[in-house]
Formats: sequence, structure tokens, C-alpha cells
Amino acid sequence: MSKQAPGVRIDGLTVVYKTPAGELPAVRDVSLTLEPGSITGIVGESGSGKSTLALSLLNAVQPPGRISAGSVEIDGLGDVVGLGGEQLRKARGRHIGYVFQAAQNSLNPLKTVGKQLLDLGRSHGVDDLRGLVREAKELLGRMGLDGARVLDSHQHELSGGMRQRVGIMLALVLNAHVVVLDEPTTALDMITQANILKIVREVHAERGLTTLVITHDIGVVAEVADRLAVMYGGRLVEQGPTREVLGSPRHPYTRGLIKAIPRLVGDIDEARALPGRPPTLATVPKQGCVFRERCALRMDVCDDVDPEAVLQGTRTVACHAVTVKEHA
Amino acid sequence: MTVLLEGSSTSAAMRRNFWAGVWRVMRRKPSRLVGAVLMAGFVFMGAFGPLFYPDPLPRDVNQLTRPPSWQHWLGTDDQGRDVVALVVTGSRYVLLAALVTAVITVVLGTGIGLFSGFKRGRWDTVLMRITDMKLTIPGLPLLLVLSTVWKFSSAVQMGLVLGLLSWGGVARAVRAQTLSLRERGFIEAARGLGLSTSHIVGKELLPSMAPYIAMNMLIAITGGVYSQVGLFFLGVLPYESNNWGQMLNTAVFRSGALTVPSALGFLIGPLLAILLLTLAIVLVVDAMDEIFNPRLREE
Amino acid sequence: MITGTGVVKTYKQRGKMLGAREVRALRGVDFAIPKGGAASFIGESGCGKTTLGRIIAGLETYDEGEVVIDGVAMSGLKPKERQPHFRKIQMIHQDPYSALNPTRTIHQTLHAPLSLRARQTGRPRSWIEERAAEVLSLVGLDPGSVLARYPHQLSGGMRQRVVIARALTVDPEMLVADEAVSMIDVSLRLGILALLKDLRERLGVSVLFITHDVATARYIGDDGELYVIYRGQVVERGAVDTVIADPVHPYTQSLLSAIPVLHGLEQPGEQPVVPLESLDESRSDEGCLFARRCPFRADRCEGERPLLQITDGVPQEHACFYPERRNVIARPLSEV
Repeated sequence: MSKQAPGVRIDGLTVVYKTPAGELPAVRDVSLTLEPGSITGIVGESGSGKSTLALSLLNAVQPPGRISAGSVEIDGLGDVVGLGGEQLRKARGRHIGYVFQAAQNSLNPLKTVGKQLLDLGRSHGVDDLRGLVREAKELLGRMGLDGARVLDSHQHELSGGMRQRVGIMLALVLNAHVVVLDEPTTALDMITQANILKIVREVHAERGLTTLVITHDIGVVAEVADRLAVMYGGRLVEQGPTREVLGSPRHPYTRGLIKAIPRLVGDIDEARALPGRPPTLATVPKQGCVFRERCALRMDVCDDVDPEAVLQGTRTVACHAVTVKEHA
Repeated sequence: MTVLLEGSSTSAAMRRNFWAGVWRVMRRKPSRLVGAVLMAGFVFMGAFGPLFYPDPLPRDVNQLTRPPSWQHWLGTDDQGRDVVALVVTGSRYVLLAALVTAVITVVLGTGIGLFSGFKRGRWDTVLMRITDMKLTIPGLPLLLVLSTVWKFSSAVQMGLVLGLLSWGGVARAVRAQTLSLRERGFIEAARGLGLSTSHIVGKELLPSMAPYIAMNMLIAITGGVYSQVGLFFLGVLPYESNNWGQMLNTAVFRSGALTVPSALGFLIGPLLAILLLTLAIVLVVDAMDEIFNPRLREE
Repeated sequence: MITGTGVVKTYKQRGKMLGAREVRALRGVDFAIPKGGAASFIGESGCGKTTLGRIIAGLETYDEGEVVIDGVAMSGLKPKERQPHFRKIQMIHQDPYSALNPTRTIHQTLHAPLSLRARQTGRPRSWIEERAAEVLSLVGLDPGSVLARYPHQLSGGMRQRVVIARALTVDPEMLVADEAVSMIDVSLRLGILALLKDLRERLGVSVLFITHDVATARYIGDDGELYVIYRGQVVERGAVDTVIADPVHPYTQSLLSAIPVLHGLEQPGEQPVVPLESLDESRSDEGCLFARRCPFRADRCEGERPLLQITDGVPQEHACFYPERRNVIARPLSEV
């Protein structure tokens, strides 16, 4: 049953949204590789394009948005961007499991969890529904829940943490090996969040998954991810091994973001908010660096030329200032 | 947008902005403009239409119950009167009665719903019991009974009675809206700041419900038209002036428009008017959300 | 000065089965927030911290105990008479999107409370416009560019600043910030926290901070007090830095252990406390409220409820029979 964890290669992905002001890119020229068996975390604020990027993995960007360029290659599935219709529907769930943002509220309030599980099984043509239920109970049991009881429950009978576990179960029960978790712990309490993150880590290792976690909270990524990718204004500005990026962030945005997190110890005056505010689809600069308005290292070239993502050892950084320093 | 607006100039400027916004919203879809033009047409017809025709309308005894022709676009009725003229002169009663119905429905419904939802507690219980009782009274049979004692000769009387019979639904709906709105942060903040109840209800709650109220108002107009046309069509009310319901009644029961082709125009006239009015309202209702929501208005 | 003694709040909840179930939201809470001081209520959702905040802001009533504002007990007053006292305490809501009326410009939003204030204090109408610009400047916004706008034209961070400005229009003595930064972009949160701290220093308003994120509580100032609340009971209370650096209650320790560690920058604490998860909703009201989840519970905890107390060698108050220091929080690698 156990397959090799598949790798995912996103290359030059651009997703545009149609607005009255023309087609505006929500994700621009993003290249990112999810190594087989790794957990990658994407961090970004509102409007960074992180959720759009996650949807692209399923080729599920909804109109008025569309993928206008690039590819998403998934081992054993091919280029997802080229898939359509029935093929795509089958791939979702079977190959790629998706835990939606606010999974706490994405269950159908009128049906028991078990009914929804059977619906999922039927729509994917699963013959052995008993086996599916067994698998679901096992997964729920693995996450510390009483499987039989949860399957018999309606959404309102479950706590936030329990619903999140159900969301993870539904994403994994069809044996998907690529899993996308969009804001898996938003609106959960600290202790529940810690438990969910522990479960994500453990289930990931046990089932041999390739996992992508999307979040606004660097702490979440720091807890679970091997690799960290930072998005801003639709661009991927920095990526690399989590510990290295956190330990010595290079892009000024990454640095600012880490500095902006309140910590439990240390000098509180060291923490600083970033000046300005994150751009929206309409206010992202058309040319030049997307971060320059808030950047302390801004140079003339930043106004006109969009910095390319440059590989520096284990790290990729898209910043003129950093590149110049490296070459000096 | 960067000027500091003050005092009276603020409200004047805001009003100008509002109407500019309304125009922007209406222009967004041609259907809305069509609806607005149709509606303006009906208002004009109700207000000034009857002035264009002699009273009483001329009868042409050689042209009784005729199908549409160049001379009479929608034919003539059983007394040789032009159907178009009948529709136009009959519109005043129908539209005025419907307008009165709508105003009473919305004012009563909104007032009771707002008060009930905002005060909650005992007031709410009492008012909602009354509303429920009112909702359980079947409107049509009551009207039939009322019609035996009351002749509804004036449109205002008609509207008054229909309005008093139809505010229940609006009251319930507005109360539900109020209950959900009063939990919103900005209402709670207003209470915390110590702002008066009249400010909270008039300046915070009511504008937030404006699209909803406007929509109810427009839909109540169609409701008002349907119920009175229905009453006159059933023939339970003695008619003293022209109106569309009474036309339908004569067309069907006296001229046999359902079987006699020559009376078809007589039937189509009032039906077409009702259809166009409903269409106009449906097309305009579509714009209400955008008109009263600053975000949708400006984008 | 705002104090509370033995504040109790009970909700009647209609259960699925016959009969109503009573939910004790607050079980006799004491608090004291001095003029110009600061306090934080910390706990998980449903612990009662928000209810307590709302009671302090006058948005909710309490069943037992007493809340005293500047020497005046609230329970003896009629609702109308309480209003001038509760005016001094303004709430900053969590959600800056629903806290502003979308149909009103910022000018209109500020104008209403300011004209009320002008009437109360006998100031001329011209003062209203001046003051509107002033409160916006106080919260770091440019009045010229903000006044004529609608809320939807502002970012989340700017909206929250407008909400704070609106609270300042009635000259409050205390701001109650309920998860005031949780819906704001990460890079901007600190700006709001710094603003609250700054308003404390400049205007002398006290700040009550309600949050589930312990780390943000530090930003109200090091003279602040931390209240850790669990199921309607204060289980630990003391100076912010003391409680964070040396928590003694296992629940506080669990909360602190659960904060994500920035691996690469920090080293996790050596004795993290992981509580048993309470997935079972039928909670016991016997003994220590935390006993069922506590990894260190003893027999005594099941039968007897520990009350908030001071014991030898522990600087803060706590409600645990077996207080013990544990090294739970992550420390920067640079310090290790």
C-alpha cells in the first residue's frame, strides 16, 4: 500500500485574477520544489498569494482567477496544470489531500462525519467502503479520537481541535501522499495548536507524505517544517531550510517578519513592526521589487527591476541588496 | 478625498457622492436602466396619464370588444372604450393603492421589527406574539369579509387595509436582521460609548438595513398590486373607478376573453401592465445591494 | 482604579436533553487594575476571560460579587446610572472589520461620540473637528487622508487604529483590548501593541489585555499583572515577567510550553508540560478544575479545590497544591 512519497515541482507559476483594472497577478513566477517526504511551510501575510499558490497545486483556482503560466509537476500524476475534468477530480483526494482553511467550518452541518466520509468514498469510486471506514477509524484513533463516536457525530458536536483532526482524516483517508494544509491552526487555542502540529508531524512521518503547510504564523512553520518559503506580494522572496532561514534570514522582509514576532524572553524593545502595510492585488507594484515600499535596504534598481530568485548555497533569495552584498 | 470635510458641506458632499454612486451602479448593467426607465414610466402614467384622456372615456358603439388594430393598439372593451386608455386611466388607483400598501408595510414592519429586535426581552415577546397572530390571519378571506362592509372606493383606503394586513413578514425579517446586527462590534461599541438609542437605531442600524428595507418596499409594491387586482378580479368589490383588476374581471367573465379571440386584447392590456411593472421592480431590486453598500457602490 | 471581588457569572445553556445546564463562566474572580496600570487575562477560548472583560466594560452583567469603578460599586446602580462610569472603560474588539459601521465614514464614526462628549463637557462645536483630528493623530493616522474614507478603504491595521481612536473620543481611563491583534497581519501586530503601550505612557490610560497569546502580554509594560484563567477561575496571578519566567501552575506551564519554538533561533525549554487533552466535554466540577488534564495530579487534587493563594518562596499567587518551578519556555540561542 505504501508508495514512495512523491515530489512536487512548481515551475514559473503565475496565477492572474481578472479585475476591472485588467488581469492582475496574485502569484507571479513562483518556482518551488517540494522534496519527496519533506514538510514545506509557506509563510505570508494577507494578499501574499499563499492560498492561491496552494489551490494551484490542485489546479483549483476559481474564476475570475486562472493559471496563466508555469507548471506543477507531481510524481506519478504529471503536470497538474494540464489536467482537466474527471482526471482532475480523481486526482484530488487520491493523490492530493487538501485540508481547507478554517477546516473547522468546512464540514457539512447537516450530515454526520461518517456520511460525509461515505460520500467522499462513493464519489471517488471506492468499492470497499467498509475498508474506507476502517481506515478512517484508524486515522482518527491515531489522532487520539474515538473513531466510531466521531463518525457518528455532527459538526456541532465536535470541538475545533476535533474538527481539524476530521479535516486531516478526510484529506488522508483516500491514501493521498501529497497533503496541503491551509492555515491548519488558525482560530485554535495554543495547546490545541501544539497538539495538531504534533499530529501533522507524526502522521507525515508514519505515512510517508509530502506535506505543504500554508500559514501566516512563522511559529507554526518553525514547529513542523523542514523547509520554509516566504511569500510577499505574490512573489517567493526567500526559501531554504527552516532552521537556517530563521537563524539568519537574508531577505529584508523575512528579517522584518521574524523581528515582528513577540517573544517570551529577551529585550522587548528589539521587536519591531514593519513600516507600511502589505500590498493588495490592486496595489502590488507592476514593476520592480514588490517589497521596496517597506524596505530599509531600498536602492534605485529596486524601482525598475524585479529581483530574480538567486540560489545562494541552500537558500534562494530574491533581493537586489542581498545579491549585491554576496557578489561584493 | 484628502480635504478635511466639515459641517454642512460634509453632508452636501456626501449626498452628491451618493447620487453619483447610484448613477454608477445603475450604469453597470443595462437591465437596471431598463428597469428604472420602466418604473419612471409607470410613475408618470399614474401621476399624469389620466390627464391625457377625457373623463368619461369616449365609447364607440361600432367597435365593441375588438381585437388589436392600428386605431386601438390593444383593442376595445365591451363598451367600445380603448383598452390602452383604460389601462392608463386605471393605473392611478392601482399604483397609488400599491404605494400606500408598501409604505405602510415597510414603516410598520421595520418599526416593529427594529424595536422588537433592539429592545428584546418583554417587548420582543409581546410584539412577536402579536406579529404571529397577525401572520396566522389569512389575508384574502378577511378581505372578502371586509369588502362586504367597506367599499374601498378610494385607493388610499385600499392601500391602508392591504398595508395593515401585510406588515407581518417584514417585521419578522427586520427583527431577525436587527438581532444579528446588534451583536456586531460597531453596535456594541456605540452602546459602550454611551450613544443614544435613537442614534444607534437611526444612524447605525437603519442604514445598515437600507438595501433590505428598499428591497422589501419594492417587493411590497408588487404584492399590493397583486392583492388588489386579485380582489377586483374575483369581483367581490363593487368598482367605482377603472382599475386593472376590474378590467380583467370584465374581460374574462363578461367578454369571455379566455374563449373569444376578439376580446384577447382586453385581457392582455392589464396583464401586460402588471407584467411590466413586476419586471421593472425585479430589475431595479437587483441594484439595491450595491446602491446602499459604500464598498459596492464605489468599486 | 477598577476592582472586582468574587465576580460570578453563570450561563444557562439549553442542553440537548431535557432541562437546562448551567455553565459557570466565572467562579468568583478578584481583580484590581490601578489607574494607569496594566493587566492581561490569559487563557484558552471559553475560559471566561472575554466574559470578564465584557463585564468590566459594562457590556455584560454579573450574577454575584462586585465591580467597583473609582470607588463606586456598580451592582447598586440602575443601568442608566452605570453608563457614566462604564464610559471610562472602552472596549477594543477583536475584529476591526465588524467594529466599524461599513456605511459610515471615519468622520461620521468619530463625530457621533465627540458631539456627545462636547455636550457633556460644554465644549463648542468647533472642538469636535479639532478633537477628531487629534485622536487620529494620537493613534498614528493622518487625519487628512483618513477622515473622509469608509472603513473598507482602510487596511486591518488602520481600522484597528480607528477603533482605538474612537474609544479615545470619550476620554476613557481604561482600554479593554480583547484579542485586539489576532486578526491583524503579522507584520503590523507589534505596531498596535506598541500603540497601546504608548497611549498608556502618554495619556495615562490603563490597559487590560485579553489574549490567548502569552507573549503579546509582555508588550503592555513590565509593571503589568498577568492573570491566568482556567474554566472561570484565576489559577495564577502575578507580575508579567515573573509569571512568564517562573510559572508554578501546571496550566500556565502548559500554555507556555505550547508556544511554537523558533528552531534555529531558540532552544526549547527542558521540561515542557503537555496537558492531557480534554476531548471529553462532560467536565467534572469536583476538586481542582485542571486535575483531569494535569500530568502531576495527586489524590488530593481530585477531592479538594485549591484557591488562589500565596505560599512560601513563590512570589506570585497561584491555585495549586503542589506549585513547582519548571523550565518550560524557549530561550534564544544567543542566551544559552
